Amino acid sequence: MSLVNFTTREITCKIVYYGPGRSGKTSNLQYVYGQVPDDRRGRMVSLATQTDRTLFFDFLPLDLGSISGFTTKFQLYTVPGQVYYNATRKLVLQGADGVVFVADSQMRQLDENIESLQNLHVNVLEHGIDIRTLPMVLQYNKQDLPRELILAPEELDEALNFRALQAFPADALHGPGVFETLKAISAEVLRRLSAAAPGRR
Amino acid sequence: MSTTTVVESWTEGPLVRFVAQASARLVVVMTPAGQVLAQHGFTRAVDLMSASALGAAIMASSGEIAKQMGEPSFGTLYHAGKKHGIHLAPCETPRGRLIVLTVFGKETSIGLVQVFFDEFVAALKQAAPARQQTGPVLAADFERELNNSLASLFRR
Repeated sequence: MSLVNFTTREITCKIVYYGPGRSGKTSNLQYVYGQVPDDRRGRMVSLATQTDRTLFFDFLPLDLGSISGFTTKFQLYTVPGQVYYNATRKLVLQGADGVVFVADSQMRQLDENIESLQNLHVNVLEHGIDIRTLPMVLQYNKQDLPRELILAPEELDEALNFRALQAFPADALHGPGVFETLKAISAEVLRRLSAAAPGRR
Repeated sequence: MSTTTVVESWTEGPLVRFVAQASARLVVVMTPAGQVLAQHGFTRAVDLMSASALGAAIMASSGEIAKQMGEPSFGTLYHAGKKHGIHLAPCETPRGRLIVLTVFGKETSIGLVQVFFDEFVAALKQAAPARQQTGPVLAADFERELNNSLASLFRR
């Protein structure tokens, strides 16, 4: 749940990048880290194995600046994508205000994407949260790979996006789609705190 | 320099008292998701945000191992280094479960931290108000400001 400090007028939100192994979750955070000025980001922490696979999580605090008079801070996390690390993946989801599901666009990874999405649903439910109430966007990463190796966004939509969520084609390694994804999930998360939230009018 | 940041004012009195009594370098009160609720002490001792994320992760993972072993919880964790020690413990309050990270140096001891930590928990429990439902925080047209903030963040 977003943390709101009325005294210092600060909002802190937790966003988790979820998805199968090697889909590009860490690449998203690394790209953001590389683009954002030093004074708008904190230290990036990566708990990785010796072969640079995420073991527990990556963590990147971001300062979005002032929104409606509140200094707004986002904490970006990734989960380990490998099936083996489900226990730690579930822990990182605790208290998440929003989720970015990073799918690997490669045709041969379709089953892994579906399995990871189902795993997300199960893990969210185990935290007592209905996935339909959790702000979420999809990112179809690796769209820069040759056409014959990947599925088009429309095909991925058909396979993964049965809730008609916002979805963004991306190349997280080089940047396209990273900003758009972060912008969309930020808006989804903050909308819940706004006067425009459903049931608040 | 010693600094204090509190998200909810009820934490401040017990927190400042605990730091002084236990002679701790830094105490951070956080949510189980790793969000800082209050801190007092020498923030140069650690990077506050990452220490909170890591502290919450340690508590979450040890709690999960406890669960798998049929233990209700392992409670307090303690690590001693050459210059600093850390004491990491959960705390149940009317505002829900919180996690407290205490960083201390050679001027005190784990025993002293533990003694005053128990008093700190009791004081927090007494001071904590019940959960409150809050109204909207941001204006309905917040997205324009969000877009500007993100554009400046990504230098677009």
